[in-house]
Amino acid sequence: MLLATRAANPLLRWSYFVEQWDRIEEAILQHVQLTLLAVGAGFVISALLAFVALRYRWTITPITLFAAFLYTIPSVAFFGVLVAYLGLGLLTALIPLTAFTILILVTNIMDGFQSVPASVREAADGMGLTPTQRLFTVEVPIAVPYIINGLRIATVTTVGLVTVAAIIGYGGLGRLILDGLRRTFWTPLTIGASLSILLALLFDLLFFALGAWLTPWARRKQTL
Amino acid sequence: MVAISPPTSAVTWLAQVAVPRDITLWEWFTDPETWTGSTGIIASLADTLTLVIAVILCSVLLAVPTAALLAHWRKAELASAWVVNIGRAIPTFAIAGLLVPISLRAGYGFEPWPIFIALILLTVPPMYLSTYTAVKQVDPAAVGAARAMGFTEREVLFTVELPLALTVIFTGIRVASVQVVATEPIRAFLGGDGLGRYVRDGIGQNNPTLVLGGAILIAILAGITAVAFVGIEWLAKPAGVRRLSGAGASREAARKQMVAG
Repeated sequence: MLLATRAANPLLRWSYFVEQWDRIEEAILQHVQLTLLAVGAGFVISALLAFVALRYRWTITPITLFAAFLYTIPSVAFFGVLVAYLGLGLLTALIPLTAFTILILVTNIMDGFQSVPASVREAADGMGLTPTQRLFTVEVPIAVPYIINGLRIATVTTVGLVTVAAIIGYGGLGRLILDGLRRTFWTPLTIGASLSILLALLFDLLFFALGAWLTPWARRKQTL
Repeated sequence: MVAISPPTSAVTWLAQVAVPRDITLWEWFTDPETWTGSTGIIASLADTLTLVIAVILCSVLLAVPTAALLAHWRKAELASAWVVNIGRAIPTFAIAGLLVPISLRAGYGFEPWPIFIALILLTVPPMYLSTYTAVKQVDPAAVGAARAMGFTEREVLFTVELPLALTVIFTGIRVASVQVVATEPIRAFLGGDGLGRYVRDGIGQNNPTLVLGGAILIAILAGITAVAFVGIEWLAKPAGVRRLSGAGASREAARKQMVAG
C-alpha cells in the first residue's frame, strides 16, 4: 500500500469533487452542524456562568479555574472516557467540544461586562433605567465587542477540534482526513484538511463582519 | 487474546495492542504485559515524552529569544499584536494530516515530522506572545535606571528585563506545554504511536477498557506536566523578584495570559 506511485495517488485528484460530492457535502454539513451546536451550547452555559460570577463575585475564581481545567483536558482522553461510558454517539462528540469553548467564552463575556465603566452604570441608573433596561440598552452594547471576539475564537477553535472527533466517527471533514490516512489515499485527506482550515477562516471572517456590523460606533470612532 | 479490528477502522500499518474485551481496568493496569514490550505503556510513554520534550525545547528556542530581542528593541510591535493568543485555534490535526503525504514522499515516513511541525505551530505563537508582552511591560523606570547606571543593552536585557519578565514568560511556556501534552495523542491517528495508541486500538477493537485506560494515562500525564511546570516556575523565579512588591501585578498579568482567548 505504501508503494502506491505518485501518479496513482496524487495529493489531490480534482475529479473526486464530482465523483464524491455527496460525501464531501455531508462532511461539510456535519462539520458546521457540530461546530454550531457546540458553540451554541457553550455560549448558553457560559452566559449563565458569567451571570453567576458577576452577581456573586466570589465565584469568579472557582468558575475560571473550572473552565481552565476543562480546557486543558486532552481531547483524545476526553473523547475516550466518554466512549467508554456513552459509546460512539453524537453526545460523545458534543460534550468535549462544548466543554472546550467554555473557558474562552466565559472569560470574554465577563471581561465585556466588567469593561462597562461604573460612571456609565450610574448615569443609566440616574436617568431612571430599570436594571433590565440598563442591561440591554447600556451594558450589552458595551460588552458586545468582547462577546463577539470570544465567539470568534471559540468557533475557530471548535472547527479545528471537530476534526479530532473523527476518531469516534463524528468528525465532519475530519472523517475525510482519517479515511485518507487509513487508506493512504491522499485526495480525501487533502480535501478534508484544506476545507476544515478554509471553514475556520470563513467563520473568522464572518464574526469579524458581524462585530463590525453590530458596533457601528467603533467604526465611526476609527474614521474620526 | 482478541484478534485485530476490521480493516476499515484500523490503522493497518501499525502493530495493534491486542487485549481481551472482557478485561477490567484493574486487570489491564496490573498485567505486567501491559507495561512492557514494544506496545507497552513504558515504551509508549517514552515515545510521547521524547516528542513532547523535543517540541517544547524547539519552540522555546525559537520563540523566546526572538520575542525577547524584538521586545527589547521595541521592534515588530505591530506584527506582535497580530500574533493573537489563539490557544487551540490552530487546527493541529488538519495541518499534520496535510503534512503526512509530503513527509512520505520526501522519504521521512509517516512519523514524526508531520505531528512535530504541527505541534511547533501550536506552541510558538503563545510562547512568542507571552515573552514579547512580558519583556515589553517591564517597568520603564527600572530599565531607565539601569541604562543611567551604565548598563550595556545586553546587561539591561539579561539582568533587568528578563528576570522581571520571567514569571510571565514561564506561564506562557507552561500553558503551551500542557497544550502540547494534551494534543500529542492525536499522533496515534496519524500513523504514529505514543500514549494515544490505547485509545485508538480500543476504539478499533470496540474495547471500552482499553480506551478508558489510555485516556486515564493521557490525562495523568497532562496533569503531571501542569504541576511540574508550576514547580519549575517557582524555582526559576529570582529571589529578588519573589520579594518585590510588584509580584501581585505580575501574577495578575500571568492570570490574564493563562485565560487569554
